[in-house]
Amino acid sequence: MQLIRMAGATAAALALFAGTAGAQALKFTPGEDARFSWDSYEAFADSHDLSGQILDISGVWIGPDKDLVESVLAYFEAATGARVRYSGSDSFEQDIVIAAQAGSAPNIAVFPQPGLAADMARRGFLTPLGPETADWVRENYAAGDSWVDLGTYADEGGTEALYGFFYKVDVKSLVWYAPDAFAEAGYEIPGTLEDLKALTERIADDGGTPWCIGLGSGAATGWPATDWVEDLMLRREPPETYDAWVSHQIPFDDPAVVGAIEAYGWFARNDAFVEGGSQAVATTDFRESPAGLFSFPPGCYMHRQASFIDTYFPAGTEIGLDVDFFYFPASAERDLGTPVLGAGTLWAITRDSEAAHAFIDFLKTPIAHEVWMAQSGFLTPFTGASPEAYATDSMRAQGEILTSATTFRFDGSDLMPGEVGADAFWKGMVDYTTGRKDAETAAHDIEQRWSSIR
Amino acid sequence: MSPLLQGMVTILIGVGGCVGYFYAANLLLDRVIFPPSGRDPGRNISRANAVRPWLFLAPAMAALGLYLVYPVVGSFWRSLYNRDGGSFIGLGNYTDLAADPAFRTALFNNLLWVLVVPAASTFLGLIAAQLTDRIRWGNIAKSMIFMPMAISFVGASLIWKFVYANEADIGLINAIRAGLGFQDPIDVIQIPFWNTFFLMAILIWIQTGFAMVILSAALRGIPDETIEAAILDGANPFQIFFRVMVPQITGTIVVVWTTITILVLKVFDIVYTMTGGNFGTQILPSYMMSYMFKDDGRATAVAFVIMLIVLPVMVWNILQARKEMR
Repeated sequence: MQLIRMAGATAAALALFAGTAGAQALKFTPGEDARFSWDSYEAFADSHDLSGQILDISGVWIGPDKDLVESVLAYFEAATGARVRYSGSDSFEQDIVIAAQAGSAPNIAVFPQPGLAADMARRGFLTPLGPETADWVRENYAAGDSWVDLGTYADEGGTEALYGFFYKVDVKSLVWYAPDAFAEAGYEIPGTLEDLKALTERIADDGGTPWCIGLGSGAATGWPATDWVEDLMLRREPPETYDAWVSHQIPFDDPAVVGAIEAYGWFARNDAFVEGGSQAVATTDFRESPAGLFSFPPGCYMHRQASFIDTYFPAGTEIGLDVDFFYFPASAERDLGTPVLGAGTLWAITRDSEAAHAFIDFLKTPIAHEVWMAQSGFLTPFTGASPEAYATDSMRAQGEILTSATTFRFDGSDLMPGEVGADAFWKGMVDYTTGRKDAETAAHDIEQRWSSIR
Repeated sequence: MSPLLQGMVTILIGVGGCVGYFYAANLLLDRVIFPPSGRDPGRNISRANAVRPWLFLAPAMAALGLYLVYPVVGSFWRSLYNRDGGSFIGLGNYTDLAADPAFRTALFNNLLWVLVVPAASTFLGLIAAQLTDRIRWGNIAKSMIFMPMAISFVGASLIWKFVYANEADIGLINAIRAGLGFQDPIDVIQIPFWNTFFLMAILIWIQTGFAMVILSAALRGIPDETIEAAILDGANPFQIFFRVMVPQITGTIVVVWTTITILVLKVFDIVYTMTGGNFGTQILPSYMMSYMFKDDGRATAVAFVIMLIVLPVMVWNILQARKEMR
């Protein structure tokens, strides 16, 4: 018994230490670097005093990501005097539901995707952020309406309100290419989807291979193709159709969806357009698929993938020099603006308190964005944040794609029910890519799976 | 607390707790509830002896009930509800499964797995056991064959991914094809129907060692007199092996066979890592995985179907194993 009590005491002491570790020194000294909007920090500090209050935040970030988020939270602590306790968990999505049911939810939860947040709002676990926050997002975020819509859910009674504040966003609509290979062959960065197709044909005619595509990802094989289809959907159909598709208001085998799948097939099912031929696409690991960009002569000229893919580039690759990216261009024929596909984390209040609302106000200050922009892995659609704060040129260029977007849509497969978005859709795209099924059959089979949900 | 310290504390509490429970429960029974004193000490002693086995069995029975019986009943109950678990739909999940072509593919593939893998593993294991028994370097050969047993299914799949790789520079099969003069590499994982057999080869590779070790022990247990008698009667080596030795170890063969069958019905790792269920290689456990934590009603229904298939094999296995022990 003595032993158990001792172990318990040690654990408690350790937990205490972990709690205070959040109070770290500020990464950038206020007032020193002109890239940052320090006046917004000082104005926020002057108008908020939360001394003695404690703010609990839970999220998915652990390890180095935890240090990054805590470096931002430190500014909130310094400005208000409140203490912030961040805890990260890789099983956040299960933990937060259990905590909310048990009445021990943190003040603020950071959701990795809107589906779970919508579910929690419906069950009455979230606190609305208020119309003034909705107006703020609408005005200050590029494609503001998209962000408000993504954070707006119905509560138990069916009343809709803004619950989620998007902060930290990823861009998926990127095409990676090797600038040297482009320069040598005299290719130019396409400005429209039509130009992109023309370039694809031209590269093939010149005897090169335009694309590297790899769907392999173990049990998740097929997901890169779903990003392709979603991106093409946004370039062929208005965002309302995309929303209707993702929320199953139109069937999965609707002609609009089949059209988008076939548009993807135009690229991936042509043996002359993809490295290794279309059969290899299904089994090539997505992590290895960009390798063709770096070989000589080029194995391929272009690779469509989200911003995180740079992790899998060969060691020492310099973005902007060895490899660069451009925006997956919008269609010139269809007047749909510049849509961007991506993902992001949304922050919601799971236990109401003065500090929680103050924290949401803090996220509206440019400095809250700039501190993370100046480090790594952070993009923001907030037009008030200074782009100079980005740590690298490539982050700045991606941020620019985000701030010049007219429409932002969340990765659709993440919003569909798991057995569709994270299984049937993947497998259907593999069957379509390898030619086992045509687009209509593949879409029809996915629809069957979706409509059989009880 | 460091994981090492945590582990040691857990072991101490666990082992100490067990010892403490048995000691304290025994003490309580002998000293307090049925003390061997008072008016009728003899009756108390026999009463205590009647209760004692149950006392000692209680923790195991509680644990089995909690972790085995309750989940089975609970899973079946859950499979009668819809996706959210909110409304009762009777056997709706089961009828949906029957109507799903993907489920039928998985069922058919699973049938192939159950037929081929135990048979091939047991047969190859038996041959290996017999052939390695009489030669000098037999033990080395045995350890080589047994070694894959020590590799996890996922690890083995990763190794075989290289064997099957779609490039002659990496993949063994394509290297042989290239050596024979074929130009284009083939992706064996994508060949319809036969790709399932290429996946089975991985499990056979792992399980042959297991069959070999058990059967080798059984072969050594055969009385030499029977073999000597067969030799005197003029039987050839094949006759000795198939007519004299194998019939004497049938019981062990059945146990090995059924044990591997049960394993086959729960291994999802190989399909999961090699193909993710694509290219028509889906089997029931990996099909279940695609619903798990998404539609738990459907997933538990698949789990229950798997259990129904395993059950008769398991009963046969236990019956045979008991017969062996007698």
